[in-house]
Parts: sequence; structure tokens; C-alpha cells
Amino acid sequence: MEKLLHLWENTGLYQITSGQGFMIIIGMLLLYLAINKNFEPLLLVPIGFGGVLANIPGAGLADPGGILYLFYTIGIESGAFPLIIFMGVGAMTDFGPLLANPKTLFLGAAAQFGIFATLMGAVLLSTFGVFDFSLADAAAIGIIGGADGPTSIYVASKLAPDLLGAIAVASYSYMALVPLIQPPIMRALTTETERKIKMVQQRHVSQREKIVFPLLLLLLVAFLLPDAAPLLGMFCFGNLMKECAVVDRLSNTTQNSLINTVTIFLGLAVGSKLSAEQFLDFTTLGILLLGMVAFSIGTASGILMAKLLNKFCGGGINPLIGSSGVSAVPMAARVSNKLGLEADPHNFLLMHAMGPNVAGVIGSAVAAGIMINYVTGG
Amino acid sequence: MEASSLLNEGLTLMLYGMGFVFIFLTLLVFVTGLMSKLVTQYEKSVGVLPAGGVPSPTAVIPQHGPVRPVAQAKQEPDNLLSVLSAAVHEYRQRHK
Repeated sequence: MEKLLHLWENTGLYQITSGQGFMIIIGMLLLYLAINKNFEPLLLVPIGFGGVLANIPGAGLADPGGILYLFYTIGIESGAFPLIIFMGVGAMTDFGPLLANPKTLFLGAAAQFGIFATLMGAVLLSTFGVFDFSLADAAAIGIIGGADGPTSIYVASKLAPDLLGAIAVASYSYMALVPLIQPPIMRALTTETERKIKMVQQRHVSQREKIVFPLLLLLLVAFLLPDAAPLLGMFCFGNLMKECAVVDRLSNTTQNSLINTVTIFLGLAVGSKLSAEQFLDFTTLGILLLGMVAFSIGTASGILMAKLLNKFCGGGINPLIGSSGVSAVPMAARVSNKLGLEADPHNFLLMHAMGPNVAGVIGSAVAAGIMINYVTGG
Repeated sequence: MEASSLLNEGLTLMLYGMGFVFIFLTLLVFVTGLMSKLVTQYEKSVGVLPAGGVPSPTAVIPQHGPVRPVAQAKQEPDNLLSVLSAAVHEYRQRHK
């Protein structure tokens, strides 16, 4: 009888708390969104499943010694996984459209305003006592506005590890929601005639330029902002491997098997942060809201900058490509293209929007470097 | 007191951060433009890189005149012959 009682006390049913039950439901919801609605399935499947695993009562998968805890410590706490992903993203990036029209870098810079505006918002909210965010927390929340998953995770792991679960979920869900969030803002800020502006065919960019560019970017980062060097260094390395065309084997591995492997473990490790005591909190709601604000402001400031650039450069820049300054590659560029086609069925903006899109990746990595530098150094 | 210092820090970080992002990317715009000009200048005299990358040094002497054109040359007359004979056949049928 005693043995039977012992067995009963060890079952999940006996040990489960309401918080764990709720988190398992949230994990299942993420799985539903990924599988049934096709929302960023590559990430939400591992994250959702990791969330379910982490909340199994009594199993302790996310506690010290558990397998998910191990993934987290090795990959995320050390900063390794986001950096490896960034290398893969670099190997998949084509800087051609950016090199053909370097002015689009300004759009990538403008869209980062969302990051800093949200940082300010989070700071204001804590000043009024609504939330209790430190400057480091506020910085990590703001970076959601960059719409760049690996960068958000990297910054959160450095500045606010407690909030990592919520920040990662927020930034990846907003990346998936790009086609829903951006169009209303884009339509509100542009006129019909502006949306119809056609952009001239881009010039041809030679292979040599594409090889020199990552090296140039690396040198600039090395001299000016070493704090952004981990992110942009890996990014440039991946890109150089692709463009130099003499290490195709390495470049293929980085773009495919390596990034896939790391994505699996990254997702599970982020999921392990979805434990009830850390996630079921009033601040999570705040993070989700602020992330959305960050993202919307980034989109809006990108478009306004594109309008300004259009004025100064004497036309020829469709303001729709401004929203691609947030770095969600390539969803944001596709949205620009779609809205351009909507206004005029012969207006193809995709290649033009890829320039600001890639610039956004560089911009948010620079912003991340500044935040890490300021918060940890000051 | 503490709240206002947090506010100050936030404001400073915002201005400092946004300013730096712009300075960095502006610099990048100029440097990139300069690099593109230089490379284009250079390529005018040297020529462009092969798209498949620089071939690696090898002990095997490259075989000039690859095999494919030969095969094509062999196939073409066959093809031509059948087309011609079909045309001749057609012509003779009509002009009987």
C-alpha cells in the first residue's frame, strides 16, 4: 500500500501545479499556431515542444542537470547559438541590392528608431511604477523592434536572461506577423501616387565588390564598435564564405545543415525558458505589448525616412521599401513588394526592398552592440 | 530620485544609440560607394572574376577543347541530314 501511494505521489497528476498546466497549454497553442497556421514553424515547433517538456511536473528537464537546461547553458547563456545562426544568415544573404544602391542603408538605420523609442517607453513605464524594468531589461525589450530573432536572443542573454523566454517568443511571433502588422501602417503613411513610384533597374554588382564588402564592414565594426563584432563578425564570415565561391562546401554546410541543427537546439533551449514561474507574470504581457509597439514604430520610421530620401534624391525611391528596414528577412521585403504590386501590377519592388532589408540586419546588430556597450560598460 | 536617473539614462542611451547607428551607417554608405568606384576602376583594367571562383591550382594540365563540342559536331550533321532529306522528300512529292 505504501509503495502504491509512493507511485501515486510521483505521477504528474499528483504533482502538477496550475501554472505548469497553463504553460503546457501555451506550449500546445504555439504548436497549433506553427502546424496549423504555419507561423514560423521552423522555430515555433521546437519552442512550443520545449515549453511543454520544460513544464512536465517532476521531470525537471529545465532544472539544473536536465537536458533542456544543458542546451540552454551550452548554447544560449554562452551566446553561441545566436552567433552560429547569424553566420548562417550571413551565408544566405546577398549584399548585391545593397551595393547597387548604398543609400538604402539609411532606411535600415531609420527603422532602428523603433528599438530606441521602445526602450524609452519601457523606461517611462517603470518610472511611473507600472512595471519594474531596469535599464538592461528595457534595452533587451527594445531590441524586439529590430525584428531579428537571433539578435534579440543574443542581447537578452547578455542583458536580461530572466526575460529571455518572453522576448524570444515575442520577437519570433512578430517576425511571423510581419505580413499582418506592416501593411496597415504602410498604407496609412503613403499616398497612392507614392506607392506607384517605379524604381529604376539596379546596376550590375561585380563579384569582387561582393567579396570586398563583408571585409570592409568587418573592419569598420572592428574600429568603431567592437561590441557589435561578435554578431557582425560571424555575419561577415558567413557572407564571405558564400561570395568568395572557393569554399562552397563550407558555405553549403553553414546555410543548411549547421543552421538547421542549431535551430533545433536553440528552439528547445528557448522553450525551456517558458517555465511557469518565469513566464506567467504581468511583465510578459508588458513585453508582448512593448514589442508590438517597437515593431510598429520601426516600420513607420523606415517609411518616413524613405519619403525624406525620395524628396532629397529627387524622386525614384518608393517609400514602400522603407518598411523593409526592419530586419525580418525576407518577409518585410515581400510585404513591400506585395503592396507595390497592389498599387500597380507592374511595379516590382522585391529586389529594391532587399537592400534596406539587409541594411536592417546590420542596423539592428549595430544597435545591439551599442546597447550592450552602454549598459554593461556604464 | 532613482526614477528620474533611470529616465535620464534611458534618454541618453536613446540619443547616443540612434546617433551612433546613423553615424555608422552613413560612414558605411560613403565607404561602400568609394569601394565600388575603386573596384569598378580596377576591373576596367583587369577584368572581372570568374563567377565560379578562382580555379584551384592543380597538377593536371587543363584539357583545351572540351569533349562536348565534339559530340555536338557529330550529332549536328545527323540531325541536319534528316531535316534535309525530309525537305527534299517533301519537295519531290509536291513537284511530281
